Amino acid sequence: MQKLQGIAVSPGAVIGEALVMDTEGFRIPRRFVARDAVVDELERFNKAVTAAAVEIAHHRETVSAELGEKYGAIFEAHLQMLQDSRLRGEVEELIRQRHYSPEYAVSHVLRRYAQVFQRLESSYLAERANDIFDIEKRLLRHLLGRRREGISRLTSPVLVLAHNLTPSETSNLDRRFVRGFVTEVGGPGSHTAIVAEALEIPAVVGTGPFLTDVSGGETVIIDGDQGLVILSPDEETLARYRREAEEKRIQATKLEPLRDLPAETRDGVRIELLGNIEFPYEVDHCVDRGADGVGLYRTEFLYLGAETEPTEEIHYQAYSRVVQAMGERPVVIRTFDLGADKMPNMPHPEDNRNPCLGLRSIRLALRNLPVFRTQLRAVLRASVLGNVHVMFPLVSTLLELRQAKMVLADVMEDLQEHNLPFNRDMPVGMMVETPAAAMMADRFVEEVDFLSIGTNDLIQYTLAVDRANKDVGGLYNPVDPAVLRLVAMAIEAADRKQVPISMCGQMSGSPLYTILLLGMGLRRFSVTPSAIPEVKNLCRHVTIPECRIVAERVMTMENARDVKNYLKEEVKKYVEEVAE
Amino acid sequence: MSQTVVRRTVVVTDPMGLHARTALAISKIVGQSKSQVTLVKKDRQAKATEVLQIMTMVAELGERVEIEAVGPDAAAVADALEPLFAGMFNDETQESA
Repeated sequence: MQKLQGIAVSPGAVIGEALVMDTEGFRIPRRFVARDAVVDELERFNKAVTAAAVEIAHHRETVSAELGEKYGAIFEAHLQMLQDSRLRGEVEELIRQRHYSPEYAVSHVLRRYAQVFQRLESSYLAERANDIFDIEKRLLRHLLGRRREGISRLTSPVLVLAHNLTPSETSNLDRRFVRGFVTEVGGPGSHTAIVAEALEIPAVVGTGPFLTDVSGGETVIIDGDQGLVILSPDEETLARYRREAEEKRIQATKLEPLRDLPAETRDGVRIELLGNIEFPYEVDHCVDRGADGVGLYRTEFLYLGAETEPTEEIHYQAYSRVVQAMGERPVVIRTFDLGADKMPNMPHPEDNRNPCLGLRSIRLALRNLPVFRTQLRAVLRASVLGNVHVMFPLVSTLLELRQAKMVLADVMEDLQEHNLPFNRDMPVGMMVETPAAAMMADRFVEEVDFLSIGTNDLIQYTLAVDRANKDVGGLYNPVDPAVLRLVAMAIEAADRKQVPISMCGQMSGSPLYTILLLGMGLRRFSVTPSAIPEVKNLCRHVTIPECRIVAERVMTMENARDVKNYLKEEVKKYVEEVAE
Repeated sequence: MSQTVVRRTVVVTDPMGLHARTALAISKIVGQSKSQVTLVKKDRQAKATEVLQIMTMVAELGERVEIEAVGPDAAAVADALEPLFAGMFNDETQESA
């Protein structure tokens, strides 16, 4: 059993079979064999060669029969390459002399051959590297058995372990079979985190290097609540996680009937529960959970998954799908919230020493108006299809907000000139995710139709903590009194002006904080769709006066740990009630 | 039996270079002959029965390759190999396409 601590980015725990992948979608463990195992390992290699040869010969016959002798000949060439005496000699040498595992030796030798071809630029022969890779993969498949499979054609549930996952890799995943992710690198904002949350499967990122210890096929537990990855767990651990999974399942079943009931406190205050989404298909998750709307539609993936800047039409198609599915219910589209490095075709900023404090989000949009305008045009065009709101991220000054609104007005004029329909009264809002925005909330509310508190960034900027940084990540805490004061300021400012305010950070999706937030006056929660039932359940068990007492007590506390412990106790009162 | 040594230089005129199927054809012809054949390109050489070696020699369009055949039927083998460097398979592919 081996335990790894990473960063929890998508909740839940799952037990499953490891599928390890490298940059080519496969993974070869760097393994060595014991001296006395060399003979056995050589035999294993030779068996794999024989098995691969039989397979290729069979393939050759099929292909020849179906497509003609000429195509079959390619596989005969593979067969010949596979049986090349020098190649076999080299692999055997590595196993015998350097004690490489057959997998590692095969991959080592064949990749060297492949490199000969890969070095040839724009030549037909360069393509031949694929022949070599094909042989390599075939041999490895026989050596590793079913432990090694392509990620795009899975046949049974797996947990994907990778160094990192690129957008194209994640988009190629067969969603039916991937039950969890672990990546060695990455933080809360990584693709893996975003995709995992969208798929509603547990994920842990930033574990540091460990893949060399895994060959695939082992049993793994991914605990997306604690940020834990357990390789080859012992029976006791397995039993514990199985028991927890069963309890969760029972709990989820109990919550199912809540779907059609309103999120209303015991004293009759209606709470709005909206969903956070990234991909258009997630709107279905919102509908399934009976969400009151989409409180945060992140649009980053339109940019991240693409080689080129997405066209207005691509934006429009994505937005229409979501807006139409929601019907009358609101959909808050947030304009792109990215650093310049993530944007295709955008010049990299000259100064990038501190990206979080640099040119990103609304700042980047205001510097690259054509890109910004394209997105706003699509949002406006979609605004006639339903109840669309637009929201600007990371606003820190009034001037920025005004500039963004001016660009929007300008785009409106443009659409009008072209006689394209749009909703002139589309509500315009902004994120409160910088301490500056929270402290100036009383001024901002004069100029927006709604606010949404983004806790992830607000916590980071308030406490000066990068959550992905292992050394200081422990300081990152949603209920740090400093953060809570800023949240309270924003809610009070919004209430005074009767401007709707919601919270769309991860904090709002955790039932642990629901009572506190209700007590602080929050009435709109935008959460990851899977969290809706639990938050709703809690809302239905409390009264606002009860919550106010809790909030008042919390605001007198001096550190995050006290707050968290107190809230845990409070929540238990209601959760236990549910469990009965 | 006489051991003839035949050396012949050919130029790859197949636009696709010496690819897998050509290499395969070479290895077959040589395998059926009674001669030892080595292909030499500059400092690289390949045993003509080994497809992978022929391929990793990387002979591209316009490059010179020396056929070195040793054995009783050396001349005949060299004769049989020579047209392969001209890309006969390529023409075939185009015809059927």
